[in-house]
Amino acid sequence: MVIVELQRVTKSFRKGDEIITPLDDVSISIQEGEFVSLMGPSGTGKSTLLNLVSGIDRPDTGSIHVDGTEITKLTRAQLSDWRAANLGYIFQTHNLIPVLTAYENVELPTLLLKLSASERRRRVELALEAVGLNDRSNHYPRQLSGGQEQRVGIARAIVAHPKIVVADEPTGSLDFETSLQVQTLLQRLNKELNITMLLVTHDAKVASIAGRRLVLDRGKLLESTLGAER
Amino acid sequence: MIPYVLKTLWRHRTRTLLTLSGSAVAMFVYCFVGSVQEGLERLTSGDDANRTLVVFQENRFCPTTSRLPENYARRILDVSGVRQVIPIQVWTNNCRASLDIVVFNGADPTQIHKSRPIRLIEGTWEEFQERRDAAIVGDNVARRRGLQVGQQFTIGEISVHIAGVFQSKVPSEENLIYTNLPFLQNTRGLDATGLVTQHEVLLAEDADPDRVASEIDEMLRSGSVATKTRRKGAFQASTLSDLVDLISFAHWLGYACVGLVLSLVATTTLMSVQDRLKEYAVLQTIGFRPLATLRLVLMESTLLCFTGGILGTILAMSVLSFGGFALGAEGATIDFRPTIHLALSSLIVSIATGLLAGLAPAIQASTLKVVTALRDP
Repeated sequence: MVIVELQRVTKSFRKGDEIITPLDDVSISIQEGEFVSLMGPSGTGKSTLLNLVSGIDRPDTGSIHVDGTEITKLTRAQLSDWRAANLGYIFQTHNLIPVLTAYENVELPTLLLKLSASERRRRVELALEAVGLNDRSNHYPRQLSGGQEQRVGIARAIVAHPKIVVADEPTGSLDFETSLQVQTLLQRLNKELNITMLLVTHDAKVASIAGRRLVLDRGKLLESTLGAER
Repeated sequence: MIPYVLKTLWRHRTRTLLTLSGSAVAMFVYCFVGSVQEGLERLTSGDDANRTLVVFQENRFCPTTSRLPENYARRILDVSGVRQVIPIQVWTNNCRASLDIVVFNGADPTQIHKSRPIRLIEGTWEEFQERRDAAIVGDNVARRRGLQVGQQFTIGEISVHIAGVFQSKVPSEENLIYTNLPFLQNTRGLDATGLVTQHEVLLAEDADPDRVASEIDEMLRSGSVATKTRRKGAFQASTLSDLVDLISFAHWLGYACVGLVLSLVATTTLMSVQDRLKEYAVLQTIGFRPLATLRLVLMESTLLCFTGGILGTILAMSVLSFGGFALGAEGATIDFRPTIHLALSSLIVSIATGLLAGLAPAIQASTLKVVTALRDP
């Protein structure tokens, strides 16, 4: 079943006098439970595509359907509700709220769902357990290592049981060892929880953990088979 | 999300504490100015102000210059609609405006007991009635001057024995000291035997105050001293006319305080929001609606203002309760009293100010471009 479908999406923006078109008539379909990586050199529009799928940016033309909803037609408030229920977002720089503990950061998305306090607690504990950070739940972001912060970010992205998780260079700010741990974690979550994942990276090694690899080049999307060979 | 707001404020505690103290001081001043205004309103409204007449010497203002024959009381009593007349000798330590004015009212103790809405909280009426130099002291004066029953209190040429401390239903009365009339008349320097400063006229229930006032003045026009009779409220407003102008002007000070809190909290909230635009972008990416981020910012600014308002109001109410402040001139006094109405209005103003102060930063946080804000380092 197709869960994400972009049809002839174009996005351009002005930079000084120049008009840049990072996405030019791009179409793509992602199946439910699929792990897709999107790679390409810096500035090729990988993050732009991710932001469009997340509904935090809008295309100039074309349509985006996620799980049957045409998100390009939703209002800003509707998009917020849609994200709360359907999307998990993993940032490159973790972007945890510094005044909240790991537990409270993970709990944030569940506050937007109609859940009982006990169900909320259960989900947060499960998410933290899934990323191996139950023992750090009362720690503040400043008390965590970079890798642990990213794992909290991942727990926050999966806690609401989203249909799709998008990750924007999730290992970009981590050292080699920690990066490997995070890659393994993402693979495990995709397989064990059957979460559809769209991963953006400029690193071919990181991209290769995905079942399907896409390459964005000069606004056009190309399919690569390297990921499948792995 | 309340923990998030509280923790955010705690994260920048120095800034938060400075803002809180600023808004607390401003709301303290707001309450103080408000209490003066309320005191003035109480002085010129209510039963005591509207159903009691004061007969004063014509074209005189300071109590020391009004000298009416004491026996005018009998003639005034003949006017229809007059229920009772109390001859009063007034002595004040200061005819000009002062924050520590001491006003003695010399009158018949029995008349005071029967006609004034006062209640002794310490001491006895018997001692006041029997001892020539006895005085009963208003609660406000007692607190301000630290006076206690049994003490001898001396000011200028007057030295009285404190026989009691009273509270009154008319708040400004608690700034008075009542003595026996003959005692005050014979005080050195006054030489007022047979004379009084004013006659206080209590009216029958159906009497028209203005008609009675003009009849009294008309009747006494042929007497040795012409009089001017007014309702007590109008008399006091006229006596304090210079202060009334000042107080009317001072209410702008109250508005200025609100403006001060507004700009202070708006600046703090704006700085705080601009520091955290990325945080709000993250919240919106997670699924928080723009309106929810707007509410978060408004909650933050309102909490700052409201907490400062509570602190300032509590401080002001305490100072007003225990300070016994009064502003007086020419024998009339305006008391500064803490009231529920004042406290509530201060708290409501602080909430409204908080909402208003947070509006611009809240709009900024809720309408930000998520993608742009996420790109910020």
